Amino acid sequence: MNVATTRQRNAAGSADPAAATRRTGLALVVPALAVVVAVNVLPAFFGFYSSLRAIFFFGDDGFVGLRNYAQLFADPSTWQAIRRSLVFTFGSLALAVPLAMLAAIGIRKLGAWGRVLLTVLLIPWAMSPIVVALLWKWILLPSPGGLLASILAVFGIPPINLMSNPDYAMPTVIAVGVWRTFAFAAIILTAGLGQIPADLYRAASVDGLTALERFRRITMPLIAPSLLIVLSVLTISYFNEVQIIIGLTSGGPIHSTTTLGYLLFEVGFVELNQGRGNAIAIVMFLINLLLIVGYVRLLGGGRK
Amino acid sequence: MTEFKMDLTRRRVLACAAGFGLAAPFINKAALGQTPSGQIRVWTFMSASGTSPRERVLRAIIDEFQAKHPGTTVVVESQPFQELETRYVAAIAQRRAPDLIWLRDTFLSLVVDRNALADLNEALTPEFRRDALPDMFDVFAQKSVFAGKRISLPLWPTPAQIIFYRKDALREVGLTAPPLDWARFTDVAANLTKGPRFGFGLPTSDNSVSAFINIMSGFGPQIFDPATGRMDLTGAQALETAEVVRQLVARKAVSNTLLNAMGDDIQDQFAAGRFAMAQAFSARFQQYQQIASGYDGRELAVSAWPSFGGRPPAVLLGPYWTVGLSPQTQNKVTAVAFLEALYSREASLRWAKDAGLVPDRRSVLSDPFFSQPAAEVANEYQKLLAGQGAFVFPQRIPDITRIFTVLNTALQKLIGTDAPSRTILTEAKATLGW
Repeated sequence: MNVATTRQRNAAGSADPAAATRRTGLALVVPALAVVVAVNVLPAFFGFYSSLRAIFFFGDDGFVGLRNYAQLFADPSTWQAIRRSLVFTFGSLALAVPLAMLAAIGIRKLGAWGRVLLTVLLIPWAMSPIVVALLWKWILLPSPGGLLASILAVFGIPPINLMSNPDYAMPTVIAVGVWRTFAFAAIILTAGLGQIPADLYRAASVDGLTALERFRRITMPLIAPSLLIVLSVLTISYFNEVQIIIGLTSGGPIHSTTTLGYLLFEVGFVELNQGRGNAIAIVMFLINLLLIVGYVRLLGGGRK
Repeated sequence: MTEFKMDLTRRRVLACAAGFGLAAPFINKAALGQTPSGQIRVWTFMSASGTSPRERVLRAIIDEFQAKHPGTTVVVESQPFQELETRYVAAIAQRRAPDLIWLRDTFLSLVVDRNALADLNEALTPEFRRDALPDMFDVFAQKSVFAGKRISLPLWPTPAQIIFYRKDALREVGLTAPPLDWARFTDVAANLTKGPRFGFGLPTSDNSVSAFINIMSGFGPQIFDPATGRMDLTGAQALETAEVVRQLVARKAVSNTLLNAMGDDIQDQFAAGRFAMAQAFSARFQQYQQIASGYDGRELAVSAWPSFGGRPPAVLLGPYWTVGLSPQTQNKVTAVAFLEALYSREASLRWAKDAGLVPDRRSVLSDPFFSQPAAEVANEYQKLLAGQGAFVFPQRIPDITRIFTVLNTALQKLIGTDAPSRTILTEAKATLGW
């Protein structure tokens, strides 16, 4: 009798705890999944579809296959933009990650004052990128009225043209981008450092490991998951950065800060060539994907 | 009894319905055609609550219109000026376009090609067509006519990109105004460079204007091929234009440190006293008189661009603003009424008096206001408009969305590198595919 009842219940699907859990899980996930599909997946597919068409100023002249991509890769300025994007991305990472690591260590060492420091560091992260760009544009203005120029003038130093010199423009944009974002990395790394048991450091000290060895053998391996998050998020953030470039240099001077993201803005939103603009967006997506896969293999691939 | 009453009622209803049906076309014309009511949406770069002279005038025109037509509401939805046309065409595609739209003359052909503007010849009232249209400046009004359809009305017929100069700075070199030929202008601009001040400020990083075109306009309207609308970027005139730029830089009249300067940057720095002369948008004259901090605002004056080879001073009339009507408007009567209100004689006088602009209606120039000192700038603009060197951009310029950025990159290279001018201009031509 009991066996028969259980079979009947299973057949109705109402008493299997695993199935019920799956249904509950599905019910909880579906709304979020629907939002992701609606605002991410569908536009991405539409973007790809648009990249295969000749669309200018919202006028669709039809299917052109891979012509937008062919024209894009035949144009030397695209390759220069990709190179600048990589310079911007890895230049920013090279500056932001060590700074964030130092800040994270400092925040943990300082205790309550560390939290104050973190709050201060977070202010730029809370600001809109375009506001940050305009703020720094005023600070760096190489004329009377510019903050940096005024400070330098006190010491009798003439203004420095950081944004209008093709050699200095990219480092300047990198510095401003890092100033805005490294606090985010510091938060993640602070949390990661907090997960490392203090016993490990004590044991390592007893074993006679130096501070550098402790950092290399304990901190780095155990903070790798946090580092992977930081690198992934910042890579995507830096590779796609465009607002600071628009606000500070408009891709200049002489295209010296025209990254792939800025090229997308220029082609898609200024030149209004929306077919080619979408092709650039797809290329950016693929490069982002390659970079993230690389990180996962480098930092997370050996984990079981 | 009940049956009878019901039958009677049905008959009455049917009779009334038939009567309304027959009268409907007349009611529509009599009631709707004459009486603006309800809400319209207007897209412009200005804010109805802004404080610039032009924004205050717009607010006053709206208030007067709403007072004159009780029951109407004009909602101004401010948009970034460089995105007005794009957003509008997107809105048309999504059937959520505003009733009236501000757009630049350089984008008219693109918007017309998307069938996104109504034919004003059919929409404007006979009175307006009879009285107002012939009263406008013909060179502007005609540019909005495409294949017989009038698709917008030009607003503020001013010479767009002009030269602002400081009379006090010019006095230092014994002049009252800048010379109007490039050879002497370059000499004067070089002499005006003193300490942190440069003789001449040029924007080099804009999406909708290029100083290169403004300098080249000194050769007159033939810089644009009448058949194609293109410019000969490797011809003798373009090369001479490049030489002027190089001379201005070599003689330190133009700073080689301003390779990223947008129009607003140059005008703001001009207001702070960094330049003795600068390229500027003429409609902002009053605003820049008010915000001048590096000199007395009363010393601000305007000049045409110098020319080449004894030609008349150059005045390139554009890009300038025009106002169009959406073909999807659900409140055409009110939208057209407000459009016409923007161009009434009263509004024209107000734009001139309160915002220092040339009135849209020429007949307004006979108002006593224009013989007063307060009208000095508007009169100056009016003289430039009437000059022989005044011309507009062709109705259709190929690659209009790219030409300014490409030529500004060329300008940056001319200012910031030693590459030969011909090489730079050949690259620009190749980028445009011309």
